[in-house]
Amino acid sequence: MGDWYQLAQSIILGLIFAYLLAKLISILVAFKDENLSLTRNHTTQSEYENLRKVESSSGISGETDSLIAEQGSLRGDEDDDDEDEDDDDWEGVESTELDEAFSAATAFVAAAASDRLSQKVSNELQLQLYGLYKIATEGPCTAPQPSALKMAARAKWQAWQKLGAMPPEEAMEKYIELVTQLYPAWVDGGSKRRNRSGDTAGPMGPVFSSLVYEEESENELKIDAIHAFAREGEVENLLKCIENGIPVNARDSEGRTPLHWAIDRGHLNVAEALVDKNADVNAKDNEGQTSLHYAVVCEREALAEFLVKQKAVTSIKDDDGNSPLDLCESEWSWMREKKDSN
Amino acid sequence: MADNNSPPGSVDEKADQIVEANPLVKDDTSLETIVRRFQDSMSEAKTHKFWETQPVGQFKDIGDTSLPEGPIEPATPLSEVKQEPYNLPSVYEWTTCDMNSDDMCSEVYNLLKNNYVEDDENMFRFNYSKEFLRWALRPPGYYQSWHIGVRAKTSKKLVAFISGVPARIRVRDEVVKMAEINFLCVHKKLRSKRLAPVMIKEVTRRVHLENIWQAAYTAGVILPTPITTCQYWHRSLNPKKLIDVGFSRLGARMTMSRTIKLYKLPDAPITPGFRKMEPRDVPAVTRLLRNYLSQFGVATDFDENDVEHWLLPREDVVDSYLVESPETHDVTDFCSFYTLPSTILGNPNYTTLKAAYSYYNVATQTSFLQLMNDALIVSKQKGFDVFNALDVMHNESFLKELKFGPGDGQLHYYLYNYRLKSALKPAELGLVLL
Repeated sequence: MGDWYQLAQSIILGLIFAYLLAKLISILVAFKDENLSLTRNHTTQSEYENLRKVESSSGISGETDSLIAEQGSLRGDEDDDDEDEDDDDWEGVESTELDEAFSAATAFVAAAASDRLSQKVSNELQLQLYGLYKIATEGPCTAPQPSALKMAARAKWQAWQKLGAMPPEEAMEKYIELVTQLYPAWVDGGSKRRNRSGDTAGPMGPVFSSLVYEEESENELKIDAIHAFAREGEVENLLKCIENGIPVNARDSEGRTPLHWAIDRGHLNVAEALVDKNADVNAKDNEGQTSLHYAVVCEREALAEFLVKQKAVTSIKDDDGNSPLDLCESEWSWMREKKDSN
Repeated sequence: MADNNSPPGSVDEKADQIVEANPLVKDDTSLETIVRRFQDSMSEAKTHKFWETQPVGQFKDIGDTSLPEGPIEPATPLSEVKQEPYNLPSVYEWTTCDMNSDDMCSEVYNLLKNNYVEDDENMFRFNYSKEFLRWALRPPGYYQSWHIGVRAKTSKKLVAFISGVPARIRVRDEVVKMAEINFLCVHKKLRSKRLAPVMIKEVTRRVHLENIWQAAYTAGVILPTPITTCQYWHRSLNPKKLIDVGFSRLGARMTMSRTIKLYKLPDAPITPGFRKMEPRDVPAVTRLLRNYLSQFGVATDFDENDVEHWLLPREDVVDSYLVESPETHDVTDFCSFYTLPSTILGNPNYTTLKAAYSYYNVATQTSFLQLMNDALIVSKQKGFDVFNALDVMHNESFLKELKFGPGDGQLHYYLYNYRLKSALKPAELGLVLL
């Protein structure tokens, strides 16, 4: 009988002691939780370490910002630890706009939480965010309830569990809503980020580079409005110039006519309009090249054919002694016939 | 905030007071500052966070000459290397990609074709050919386990890929066995899932399992910490097409006709004895290359097997030419380039941009300028639209004279778990990663 009594007494004492200890820990945890990152999913082991570190740093001296600093270092520790992977934010198969916004929101919360100057978020809100995060990334809570001693873990578990079978999309929306309420400024950052997410440059690998546009040194070139209109394919403006008395064969400083420019840029409609206004199809630039030389060099078959039909000469030599026929490398049958007949 | 509603004397308020008493908290650092800082550094911070945990040269150590050159972390016993793959999110699974299999090769090809690197304006996307991938991923002594894919469990669709191939890279006087990491690609729809870090860790683990502890890789973004930063240069071969597809621009004061004349090349190579490399040339080319590459601070260490694999011509993959002296029949000069087409996105007239990329070039008797001009001539003959080159090795000496124009792309080179005391100039690098 005496044994029984003693045993019962020691069990009761043990329970009371355990309860007091748990209470003590929970108070200490309240300090820590204030700054707990919600986006990271601590394992029970690292949670335990949190407690230990909080106890040692805040319990005695109340040495202020160490709480937050602690968290920073903890994060670092975890990254180093292979077994403690935080895989949670890699969930999901398809990425929608909502996904991206959610991902940006979690990243923002992580950044804000790790910043020691960040505004503080109440426990209750943190737990709400936590629950939504878990639903969004893992779905309904299926984990067993943590033991009563692990207060923080239990609170988190409850926050997750009480959301039941909420659809992940809804959870993401609510999460984003909460973050937006907490940090109204986040919205700007979020949308800005989404704009940049079109950037497909990977973290590693080669780079696709293309030519940087360099303003050519040929700056002494002088062209008139009519040449620019021919170059840009602006027929109406071009015709207005001619109506206003600008010669249809006006030369730029390189001796090019509007027809040269139209052919060079491939504007058949401009070429037709110019020829219609009696442009000289065999006008030469300062290097002795006609519009047909240009058409051949630029491999513009339709334009070349048009010019030939308008009596452009295929054998006219430029200053290098080359005719359009000589310069023609393309397999144009109608041109080859000319070549043969020459 | 909600804290203000807490009853006086509560734990929350104590915490508040503690923080307020902290002299580090300054009034001018408001939430807005944080938000702005966040916006500025979001993407960078995210990747750097990962790289800060890796054995790579860290930004904070730049200029610290007290740190020794060489491995950052010593090799660990193989038994201590994690034996199981890293955990993927539960909806994905690892797969090893057998590039000998046509089906597997096609899967990797299609993933890259649709999801790999694009230019900033999303006008072009690399389109490495299947034959190219087979060549790039199966050099002498390659490990199939380093060709790592990620599949969606339900659909079995390949959604991500990363690869490594073994290489010997000389850093100063030390030849180091390394992995060249390349072709990291995550499906466009999964870009926000942060799969890349776990893939990098997994390929690292598999490299460690082969008792290799260093790696080389490139990136278009700045990570901790480049050993050198190179610039791309482009030589137009088909300027009209390049202008039409938006690869280059035609200035308002320039004519197409004159531009085409400017880039015109002779029909045939000029140097007597210039010919395609053949299997019998492997020893001579290896000698030329080893001698040439020995002058660079970081360079690939090619033996005859490597030369046979990497430099013997392969149709539409790699081209190599050399100059055989008509008198002595010695091989005196060598040039090579690889074929990397890109898909042209959303152009009605063209679908493919055919680009040649300068690979390894050595001139001993012929002038470097003439040798590379001949390389341009043969690449034009082969129908390439543009010839690209980095300013690595002695390339700078021919770029401007041969009418290369600067590109908008910079390529940063990195070593994993190997520290250099100081960064190299691009001209001190003798390494080209595909």
